[in-house]
Amino acid sequence: MKKITIISLFFALISTLTLASEVNIFSARHYDSDIQLYEKFTAKTGIKVNVVSGKAKALEKRIIEEGADCIADLYITADAGRLGAAQAKGMLQGGLSSAAIKAAVPKNFRTSQWVGIAKRARIVYFAPERVTGAELAGLTYESLANPKWKGRLVIRKSNNIYNQSLVASLVKNNGKKAAASWAKGVVSNMARTPKGNDRAQIMAVAAGEADIAVANTYYLALMLSGKKGAEQEEAAKKVKPFFPNQDDRGTHMNISGAGLLKHAPNKANAVSLVEFLLSSEAQEHIVNNTFEYPMIQGVSPHPLVVAMGLDFKQDLKTKVASYGAKQADALEVMLEAGWK
Amino acid sequence: MLLKKIDIWYLSSFFISIIVAVPIITVFLSFFETTGNYSSILKDTFLYEYIFNSIILLFGVLLLTFIIGVGCAYIVSFYKFPGVNFFKWALILSFAVPAYIYAYSLTAFFENFGTAFSILKNLFGEGDYNSSIPKFDGMLGAIISISFSLFGYVYVLTRASFHYQSQNLIELGKNLGFSKKKSFFKIILPSARPAIVAGLSLVAMETLSDFGSVSFFGISTLTTGIYNAWISFDDLTLANRLSFFLLIFIFGLFILENFSRRKAQYHSLSKGGFKSKSVITLTGYKSLLAFSFCFFVFFISFLFPVLQMLYWTIIFPKHFIDLKITELFLNTILLVLLSSIVLILFAFISNYGNRVSKSKFLEALTTFSISGYAIPGIILAVAFITFISWFDNNIVRYFGINTIKSIFIGSILGLVLVYFVRFYSLASNGIKSGYLKINYSIDESSYLLGYSKFKTFTDVHIPYLKNSIFLIGILIAIEIIKELPITLIMRPFNFETFATTAYVFASQDLLEAAAAPSLLLIIIASIFILTTSRYILKD
Repeated sequence: MKKITIISLFFALISTLTLASEVNIFSARHYDSDIQLYEKFTAKTGIKVNVVSGKAKALEKRIIEEGADCIADLYITADAGRLGAAQAKGMLQGGLSSAAIKAAVPKNFRTSQWVGIAKRARIVYFAPERVTGAELAGLTYESLANPKWKGRLVIRKSNNIYNQSLVASLVKNNGKKAAASWAKGVVSNMARTPKGNDRAQIMAVAAGEADIAVANTYYLALMLSGKKGAEQEEAAKKVKPFFPNQDDRGTHMNISGAGLLKHAPNKANAVSLVEFLLSSEAQEHIVNNTFEYPMIQGVSPHPLVVAMGLDFKQDLKTKVASYGAKQADALEVMLEAGWK
Repeated sequence: MLLKKIDIWYLSSFFISIIVAVPIITVFLSFFETTGNYSSILKDTFLYEYIFNSIILLFGVLLLTFIIGVGCAYIVSFYKFPGVNFFKWALILSFAVPAYIYAYSLTAFFENFGTAFSILKNLFGEGDYNSSIPKFDGMLGAIISISFSLFGYVYVLTRASFHYQSQNLIELGKNLGFSKKKSFFKIILPSARPAIVAGLSLVAMETLSDFGSVSFFGISTLTTGIYNAWISFDDLTLANRLSFFLLIFIFGLFILENFSRRKAQYHSLSKGGFKSKSVITLTGYKSLLAFSFCFFVFFISFLFPVLQMLYWTIIFPKHFIDLKITELFLNTILLVLLSSIVLILFAFISNYGNRVSKSKFLEALTTFSISGYAIPGIILAVAFITFISWFDNNIVRYFGINTIKSIFIGSILGLVLVYFVRFYSLASNGIKSGYLKINYSIDESSYLLGYSKFKTFTDVHIPYLKNSIFLIGILIAIEIIKELPITLIMRPFNFETFATTAYVFASQDLLEAAAAPSLLLIIIASIFILTTSRYILKD
């Protein structure tokens, strides 16, 4: 009897997964606020949103192994490098090319298999007390290898996808050889062995452990917002943002985005969810919760992000799709340089 | 003869062991596949780093858990001082704090502009405290996190062994004129050695299979190495090479553990002339010293992470309010109930099968199959998915059935199955040790009274083992409440537990949002521990 109850419970649970109108998401980027956003979508369209959140790599493995039986429709993750790698592994399919999507997202932030939902820039943070304007003038990612920064730079580990994408863009723009010697220069400039997340790099500059740090834009705004507590809000004020490569191709841009999975059973629903995420209502919700830049025109970022400066030149020349393509090269040059 | 042996109990016992062994066999078989596109420099640079880091981590944790575990066990067993009865059970509360949550607390407290900074600022005003606050991150952080969440194994086992230590031996030492120090090192410690080794080998296995805290601190160990090689680079060759080293480590520990257990049995046989030992009452500074040591360990292992999480929950109440507590609670309890029922039921059947068949082969198979415990959960989950998809593509489709993947992957059933493999040793060993206490003559009397095997099982064994069942149920519950990697990979859509919620937030740099689910997880696990403390401490 007990067994029968258990078995029927299993099937009851399995059957709840196959409702009529729904869209299934594997998400490596999961904020509390996402749930409200999905509820809005459901209220509007009647399409239920189901989510499994987890680490990107494990989700990818599950998608690949489940193959044609994978019932997930969309893979949502941060970083174009990851989406590009997913495409290269054959996990995705074309179909995110509706007129609405094409109109909303600039060409360099999408392919037919995945599109950017929000933007972020990977920039330099500096301590104004210890770094002069003259030192910073004309700073590029390339010049982070300049010996004048010896012992003054902090940046995350080489296994971090944001770094891999940044270095991939350098491989794409300057070639692998140049990127390799650049990586060696950066490693010799490091103030400490890489550790911690992006926020930890910014705090290292605030705490005086280093003079400059490389980190994504939304982290500073997050700290300034007080959501991380009063101390970090204070710490964030000791650090200033600097947008590199203003005199040439522009600052390195990246996205968080959604990919359409190859065996998506609810393809049409997936496309309409992506279109909804690109609507100004959803974009406003996203940028105010994550401090990213909006993907579409006509939506303003969070005021704290606006205060960091919006009139910088974005690198719109380097397609974010190249981050995935050059990822292996990027990792190789970093590891060869002894980048932990 | 052969036919007689093959009865229903034998068969069920056999099949249970095979099911448990499948993922282990999958890991073994993948040794013989060769692919590999991960460039060769990675292999050369990283193989040694992984091994080196695993060794450092292992030795660091073993040293620390030895000192803390044996130290506490010794003090509470041989001395009387204020609070000693409290510490006896309070020290096992550390089981409620998983290493990854400990890691979050450690980081939150000591990081630049962290909680320690806030405390100093509030006490002494503005100042540049960051450089004077020690940083417990990287390897050191991982060693501390894992040690304080695992020392309980050493503490519980060593204490049990001290408890039954013959007073005669200690008196013999006194008569020989041994000082306290000398009798500790020459008599007490050596006679508890099997228990200490058993505790340390459990710690070692858990350390090697740890994923949550080492990946949080960004240390490359064999486990994270296998994970990366297998999952990000699809490089089975490297994954296999690393698995090979990990398995060597683990089998070494297994042998050591089995060896020490055999000795433990030998020791505990000496029941004749057992005199309960006399306890020395401490006074003055010695009593303060004993109290301080125990309090320090209790504070660091339990109060510290609880207070840090509580502090965050209070200053960021939004995350607590937003948490769907009832849902998370029900999900966690569902998993606990299903898993304990399935595990205990099958462990019973298998052990009973072993008992009635008395087959050496079955014994050996069971022993092999329970080594699933030593395989890191994250590897086990991936091996399970790989196996199911292989089985589905090659065997199920052959019979014209459409697909079984969705039944096993991303379902409660699959999740419970992998838990089953992971924690089967816990259930099986527990039932086995209970069974060892039931004399075979009881079975025979039961048969003589005309009871069938089944009736003997239900009417004689189960009532006898009621306490063991309860204890094992609680131990499984504690493990499943804390379990992270398997749940993370295998769970269905819209299904979160306290552990996965905490992890998902923490992995996105939202440690303060991870505090509320972490705190609730610790509280629930603590309740389970407290209901069972008298059993844990008795044995």
